[in-house]
Amino acid sequence: MNIFETVKQIVADILDIEEEKILIQTYLIRDLGAESIDLLELAVSLNAGFQIEIKDDDIFLRKLRRYLEEAKEKSLDQHSYLAGQYPFLSASRIGEILRVLEGGPVLTIEDLVSYIFYYQNNVDRT
Amino acid sequence: MKTRVVITSMGFITSMGNSELEVMNRFQTDTVGFRFDDDYQRVPVCPVQDFDLRQYTGRLKNRRYLNRGAGFCVAAAILATRDGKTSNRELSHAGLFTGTGPNFDISSECGEIVHGDLDHSSLQALWMLRFLPNTASSIISEILGIHGENATINTACSASLQAIGEAYRRIKDGYLEIALAGGGDSRLSKGGILAYQKAKALFIGEGDPCTLYSTFDEKRDGFVPGEGGAFFVLEELSCAEKRNAPIIGEVCGFGCSLDGWNMTAPEPKGIWGEKAVRHALKEADVRPMDIDLVTAHGTGTLLNDQMEAALIHRIFSEKQPFVISLKSWIGHLAAACGAVETAITLLCMNNSFLPKIRNLKRPCAPDINLVLENREAQANLALIQSFGFGGQNSALVVRKWKK
Repeated sequence: MNIFETVKQIVADILDIEEEKILIQTYLIRDLGAESIDLLELAVSLNAGFQIEIKDDDIFLRKLRRYLEEAKEKSLDQHSYLAGQYPFLSASRIGEILRVLEGGPVLTIEDLVSYIFYYQNNVDRT
Repeated sequence: MKTRVVITSMGFITSMGNSELEVMNRFQTDTVGFRFDDDYQRVPVCPVQDFDLRQYTGRLKNRRYLNRGAGFCVAAAILATRDGKTSNRELSHAGLFTGTGPNFDISSECGEIVHGDLDHSSLQALWMLRFLPNTASSIISEILGIHGENATINTACSASLQAIGEAYRRIKDGYLEIALAGGGDSRLSKGGILAYQKAKALFIGEGDPCTLYSTFDEKRDGFVPGEGGAFFVLEELSCAEKRNAPIIGEVCGFGCSLDGWNMTAPEPKGIWGEKAVRHALKEADVRPMDIDLVTAHGTGTLLNDQMEAALIHRIFSEKQPFVISLKSWIGHLAAACGAVETAITLLCMNNSFLPKIRNLKRPCAPDINLVLENREAQANLALIQSFGFGGQNSALVVRKWKK
């Protein structure tokens, strides 16, 4: 089973929703109403499901807005600053995140999949 | 004028069914759900077959945080409000009083403990919620939109009767107009059975599990654990009348006390249990001779039944009421027993029916009026008793409603 299918199953199970409601571009918080405790459970389940260490702050983009503030304070380019913090996100995804920021929490299923794909293939995380 | 508190709705989940029709039919056909435990093969248990919490809640992510007993709480609370006669506005001001038990289902969390390390990859982030006593209450309030005064009561096998008593008092004393009260519990897990087996409190036997267990029998030798839950909508009479709610019965008095005697055994004479009962009778403004029916705690343990029979004989010296013992039908529901037995007692009263004490051949107390055969009988006033570990005593007086 590919990463997306497994993530979909895990998210559906935790939020008790139908898998059909979950698409790659679905927003976890905005669309599916995930709350902080759901993200805690999600981290535990993803960890168990993929056998990789899940760093909550990174996979759920928890510090995104803080990073953007930091970039502003240091007069750095926001796009490259985020790319440094979140190496698992593609350049196009970072561009999209910056465009939709105003609409609320940006976390999507795709971000989870990207994180897992990246760290499954880049074991050395230091 | 004294405030009167009535029950306008109830929901219950038992091994004998979830409706009046099912339960009364089980009584008539003498059908019970006792069977031997899968792990402890000489221990009879009385499970609720095919209980699926999702049937009651629908999709609900927080269901994962309910242990089985808490699940019975939530399901029964939903059933008690499902007729739709209680409006959202009424519920938002309602109180919530929940009797719950401890979660002994340890092996489901940590099946294998290696070198004392409890953590494993499938342990949920918030597994602790399945062990917090108020998780049921929190989820009921979320589902039903209840925001009023509340308490979660953990007084062992006295808990859910006490929850009803507390709700009754808050309404009687003017703190609330309406409240949901009851409880749910299950000790049917490896950890639960282990706990009571080590405490030597369980009945152990061989043969047909449905014919083994009795209470108030000379040969009684422990209780049979069951599971389930029941919840009631209690409200002030004028509030019920204003909204034309059907009335099932009246709660007239409550009493509770502590033995201060032993962690597990009751004080042998039932002195403090008697205090709880007398308080309930006094609050109901009735004499002992007015009571038609006692739903005994009747666990089938040597000490409880002996104490309770003596207590009943003493209090009702002028006129012995009928004594029924519902655990012989559904097992011992631990924290939930008081609420579930109150629900079944009300069903019996409203059907003018008294169920026999099953399998009772050699009554240990010939001087009290133990019901030995199913019978028709009018009971207008009933007393329900719960006596729990730790010397927790509670007693509730209910009256059959007459228009």
